[in-house]
Amino acid sequence: MAGPLEGVRIVEMGQLIAIPSAMKWMADMGAQVIRLESVQRLESYRTDSLYHNDVDGEFWNRGANFYEQNRNKLGLTLDLSRDEGRQVLRDLIAVADVFAENFTPRVIRNFGLEYEDLRKIRPDIIMVSSTGYGFDGPWANFGATGPATEGAAGLAYITGYRDGGPVMSEIPFTDYTAGEHTVTAVMLALMHRLNTGHGQFIDVSQTQTCSATIPEALLDWTVNGRVPERIGNEDPAMSPHGCYPCAGDDRWIAIAVDSDEAWLGLCRVMGRADWSADQRYADVLSRISHRAELDKMLGFETRNHDNHELMARLQAEGVAAGAVVDSEDLLFNEHLRERRFYEIVDHHEATGMPPLPYAGRPWKLSDTPADPPKPAPIMGQHNRDILAGLLGRTDGEIGALEEAQVIGYSPLSPRGVRRPSLDEQVRQGRMQRYETDYAERVRQWFGTDG
Amino acid sequence: MAGVKVVDLTHHIAGPYGTKLLADFGADVLKIERPGGDAGRRLPPFYHDEPGSEKSLPFLYLNTNKRSITLNLKSETGRAILMDLLLDADAVVENFSPRVMPSLGLDTDTLREHNPKLVVASVSNFGQSGPWRDFRATEIVEYALGGLMYIFGAYDREPLKHALHQAQFKAGTNLASATLMALYHQRLTGQGQRVDVSIHESIASALRDVTNNYTYTGAVRRRQPNHTGDLTRLRAVSDGYVLPNPGMGATLDWKVMVDFLEAPELDDERFDNASARLENAEALGDILDQIFATKQKQEIFYAAHQKRFIYGVIDSPEETVDNPQIQARDYYVPVHHPDLGEITFPGAPFLMSGSPWAVTDAAPRLGEHTGAVLGDMGYSAQDLAWLRASEVI
Repeated sequence: MAGPLEGVRIVEMGQLIAIPSAMKWMADMGAQVIRLESVQRLESYRTDSLYHNDVDGEFWNRGANFYEQNRNKLGLTLDLSRDEGRQVLRDLIAVADVFAENFTPRVIRNFGLEYEDLRKIRPDIIMVSSTGYGFDGPWANFGATGPATEGAAGLAYITGYRDGGPVMSEIPFTDYTAGEHTVTAVMLALMHRLNTGHGQFIDVSQTQTCSATIPEALLDWTVNGRVPERIGNEDPAMSPHGCYPCAGDDRWIAIAVDSDEAWLGLCRVMGRADWSADQRYADVLSRISHRAELDKMLGFETRNHDNHELMARLQAEGVAAGAVVDSEDLLFNEHLRERRFYEIVDHHEATGMPPLPYAGRPWKLSDTPADPPKPAPIMGQHNRDILAGLLGRTDGEIGALEEAQVIGYSPLSPRGVRRPSLDEQVRQGRMQRYETDYAERVRQWFGTDG
Repeated sequence: MAGVKVVDLTHHIAGPYGTKLLADFGADVLKIERPGGDAGRRLPPFYHDEPGSEKSLPFLYLNTNKRSITLNLKSETGRAILMDLLLDADAVVENFSPRVMPSLGLDTDTLREHNPKLVVASVSNFGQSGPWRDFRATEIVEYALGGLMYIFGAYDREPLKHALHQAQFKAGTNLASATLMALYHQRLTGQGQRVDVSIHESIASALRDVTNNYTYTGAVRRRQPNHTGDLTRLRAVSDGYVLPNPGMGATLDWKVMVDFLEAPELDDERFDNASARLENAEALGDILDQIFATKQKQEIFYAAHQKRFIYGVIDSPEETVDNPQIQARDYYVPVHHPDLGEITFPGAPFLMSGSPWAVTDAAPRLGEHTGAVLGDMGYSAQDLAWLRASEVI
């Protein structure tokens, strides 16, 4: 059965992750998402991280992150710097429920796309803007990246090893935090519109969404005047608690001992009756006061174990433990397979890409699960469907837009980013390793042999 | 969200954050705590460092705008009261381990039969199915098994997690979203359904360049070494840290960048194009470290944005409070607590013009509304005394 958002139409003017990831999840759940892009200005996710690292041919239809973020959407190219392009967008707004964008307010103003402008076209429109620091205020037009807002929100400062400076995650973490909150916000607005018939303007600041998730640190400052120190993987209420080395190259296990029972379980699995007998480690307070010593002792024991086997044995004894999984472990994962977490997407034949698995959503709805996924659009794939089918433009009108390059099917100045070879990336340490038979292994594990 | 009634059985962080997002935007959230109280009441830090079930700062934050009643769900009478409450609820939300609700006779089928429009929403460590369903987990285990930890931290050290409880908060946000989707469907069709949110998948669904690096090229990504030729890595300046960003990919003009940093030593063919920078990553990294050490955080941040370089700052919690942008948006808000007085809280995660965020009520004291809620259901003062004596409430 189709998703719960069947009948909701969203026009997305998104880039990179913050808005595209949010609208992907809404598209997954049945909303019709019309994604705008232009042939004049190629989004960087279309030019980078290419299938087989191949910059030849229509490389812009093979970008990993473009496919990751834009599943289930319809694609329309549109040059918004031109009157004809903006007219098409206005016509789309007139039949849309939601307009979602993540450009700076300056760009939105220049295009005449502020909420007040949209309301004149569609009085009950819901508009959602996602920016680094918010739609107003002195930093409103400062461009931002995920890492920048992880820094501004206060999260980066408090994260890091005990003896070092701030450490950031190696992904645009707050883009996702903002995206997740954006889904909540748009759903709240859709509910409000069901109740009242009114649309509204949603102003998502990526910084604020991230700050909302670290109240422990922010309140410790505003109430107690204390800034938390960086403590690595420690937890103030648990010991042992950390990440310990295992057998193999760069293999690790995370262990969190949250009770005396778990401590005894850990001692049993490690075969260290002497630890469980030792009064110095008998309760949580004494284990916390011997934290450094325990971490060393435990790491010395774990280093001889396979991390997945050790996890299974610890879990069987009631100890919270998890192997630190790498890309391959995460992909070829029995639990996620049984949960049907990855969804197989068949790509457009023009891409030359085989069906591939993509991460799904962190939720399941029993009665309105998603339809099987469709791939992200190749460039301009749905131009005609949308212009003719939805907006009633004639062949002649569409031809004129094509002629004037307001719409198009390939970038005007294509330039793909060829990454260094995998050998070079491994040498630099950017990649841990690579497998040459990956395509075959993906086919076998996911049963996409045909 | 006016008119949406949520019965909230959640505790700790993920569940309460999800229902907080609903409550702060107007839903009627009734929090049901076991007689000992939500374990989240013991989360540090505490107000003025005084431990106590009414003084946990995270608890006070996570439970704004909710009412609290205590109810012992292990007792038959407690469960009967819950079932009464569920009769006219729109959603029930829980985050027990997956075995608990069925073991209490509160399995989804029973609840949905009882009230067909009910949305039954769960958030759990690994979801309601699969071989890891009953695995034990804490925040660090979710980071490890979710795939974020392996790529997080120093190249040659142990992988790291974020400070605090990001996995829990992500899952809480996803819980709010998924519950709202089910409520949207319920408003259109009158039908409830089951919502199953996984904390583990909340991490695994929000990664870039991890599984798709493998499916697209066979590469397994790792924590990045310090010097990679990447110009956007965090750098120490004389008074803190910044995130440089001289412009992405093709838009980078090396001469402009060299002028901006006032670093003529970078005006060198070893560095003036992307492949040369990769080749000479170590040397470049060393020079950049030295240059940035002479800069000041605010000065270089504002100078960069004058040129539309999207620099970022690393601010401490203290500095976020003083940040002019955060102040201009009135992000931090005073919340009046009847016992503790005025507390400055982190405010709206996002601004909504038509149905705004607001904290009208501080987090409830344990069981603060038990008498009022059960009174409304028709229980007399004598009934309440008996329920209390029999440890139902």
